[in-house]
Amino acid sequence: MPVAVALAFIVLWQLAVDIFDIEAFILPGPVNILRSLYKERELLLSHALVTLGEAFAGFGIAVVAGICFGLLMGFCEPVRIALYPIFVVSQTIPLIVLAPLFAVWFGFGFLPKVIIIVLVCFFPIAVTFAQDLLKVDEDMDFMLRVMGAGRWKSFVLARIPKALPGLFSGLKIAATYSIMGAVISEWVGAKKGLGIFMTRAMTSFRTAALFADVVLIVVLSLGLYKLIELIEKKIINHADI
Amino acid sequence: MLIYKEKGRSRMKTGKMIKPIVSFIIIIAFVIAFTACSSGKKPDTPEKVTFVLDWAPNTNHTGIYVAKEKGFYRDQGLEVEIIQPQEGSSDTIVASGKAQFGISYQEGVTYARAAGVPLVSIAAVIQHNTSGFASLKEKNILSPKDFEGKTYGGWGSETEIATIKYLMDQEGADFSKVNIMTTGDADFFQASASGQIDFAWIFEGWAGIEAKLKGIELNYIDLGRIAPVFDYYTPVIITNEDILKNNKELAESFMKATIKGYEFAIENPDEAAEIMISAVPELNRELVVESQRFLAEHYKGDAEKWGLQKQEVWQRYTDWMYENGFIEENIDVTKAYTNEFIK
Repeated sequence: MPVAVALAFIVLWQLAVDIFDIEAFILPGPVNILRSLYKERELLLSHALVTLGEAFAGFGIAVVAGICFGLLMGFCEPVRIALYPIFVVSQTIPLIVLAPLFAVWFGFGFLPKVIIIVLVCFFPIAVTFAQDLLKVDEDMDFMLRVMGAGRWKSFVLARIPKALPGLFSGLKIAATYSIMGAVISEWVGAKKGLGIFMTRAMTSFRTAALFADVVLIVVLSLGLYKLIELIEKKIINHADI
Repeated sequence: MLIYKEKGRSRMKTGKMIKPIVSFIIIIAFVIAFTACSSGKKPDTPEKVTFVLDWAPNTNHTGIYVAKEKGFYRDQGLEVEIIQPQEGSSDTIVASGKAQFGISYQEGVTYARAAGVPLVSIAAVIQHNTSGFASLKEKNILSPKDFEGKTYGGWGSETEIATIKYLMDQEGADFSKVNIMTTGDADFFQASASGQIDFAWIFEGWAGIEAKLKGIELNYIDLGRIAPVFDYYTPVIITNEDILKNNKELAESFMKATIKGYEFAIENPDEAAEIMISAVPELNRELVVESQRFLAEHYKGDAEKWGLQKQEVWQRYTDWMYENGFIEENIDVTKAYTNEFIK
């Protein structure tokens, strides 16, 4: 169904561009964009590899940190009360303002980019995981207590498995953000990457190439999302058994 | 007996082990000493230099790319890395020393110096201001008085607005009748064709050339020509005072190669365009070629040498900025730029 809607939208788009004779620099049609995507494939690929590298590094760190802090906040209420507001504040900082400062503080290497991606990806992981860890299932807790499990044991045996769907929804959000985070991080200052391609295409009036870059960003983000979904299915099925 | 034997053997072992370790350390020490010595004398390990652009690469930067690709920097013992930063952040980056050199413009350097940030302009990339106000031909905007009742699309900076007001005041037009809109990085052609804006501030050698390539007819008001005060330097190459004070040789060798790069671009615009395109293949090829031909005439312009800056140009625009309240104190323009490296 979503595929059909998307296809219909693309066909309408192409028809509109053809019928109203819209100039390619105002709105390129899907055919034009695909052609550009094909023509620029090697260049786009080399930029995409850089962006993916940054995204994976940042996302990886965010996953580890997000799970650790999610566990801490979910297990220990004072920690949650102390940290949660700080994490929320971290999400309200406009990254685009931070960008030039990041260049001054950390230069133009890998580090400032990874920091930006972690800033973007960490929050949804830690928060969704912690939230689900805090959900109390009284019957389960009671049962485990009767069976002699302490707080720690019941946390590991009951709460964590129950919070996995929450964790994965956070991971999926973070995965889709990670590519966009990498693109934004390249605006800080870089030599290569899809964000660099984007500004270069834009400033030299290559609208179709700009859209091709956007298509690639969308595809990569969706790909990462699907990958997390696959892992989720494997782990949660396994946990059920 | 057994214990003694063991001890003896182990003593033997350590004795044997020490020799290779010691000789290994000595060898390492020698290697380090030698590389340290040789790197001090010979330029075979090039000095790393970071050059930060003002934003996305364009033909204003060609001389830098030519100097890099043709090995002019290498000949000077430099390994130059060109970075594309976020728009408008090059001043801060060069001031902080994260990049040694960069692209800015006269106004940016003036603001920086007025705020006590020690930036210095060491070359004018283009001798005259090649920017101005462009509009689609059918809008009939021929002079600043035609701005009345029209919509201007810009970056939303105060100086832009003051510039437009100054031009209109000069002609006795009413500035309050202009609709000022912040369009940021929106494409001039998209915004104009869709009727969002009537006129915008463009670089003749970039968007002006692109209009020709697209077959779009424009009216163009050359800023420097209608008001000499606005014939300021944009863009310029900047560095910080720390480098000029403590590492003058670096600035000298960097500029030697850069001058060669721009001179090459002036003499061989087509070849320079090819170098630019192969270094930055994301750019619009036709635009680069045509823009390069345009700029070949303008880089040096009427100056004796590429890159020279005049005190008069610095003084009159700085005074204008001061009079209009953009800087609280007037700066000493003789410290804001130098022709020392233009040889």
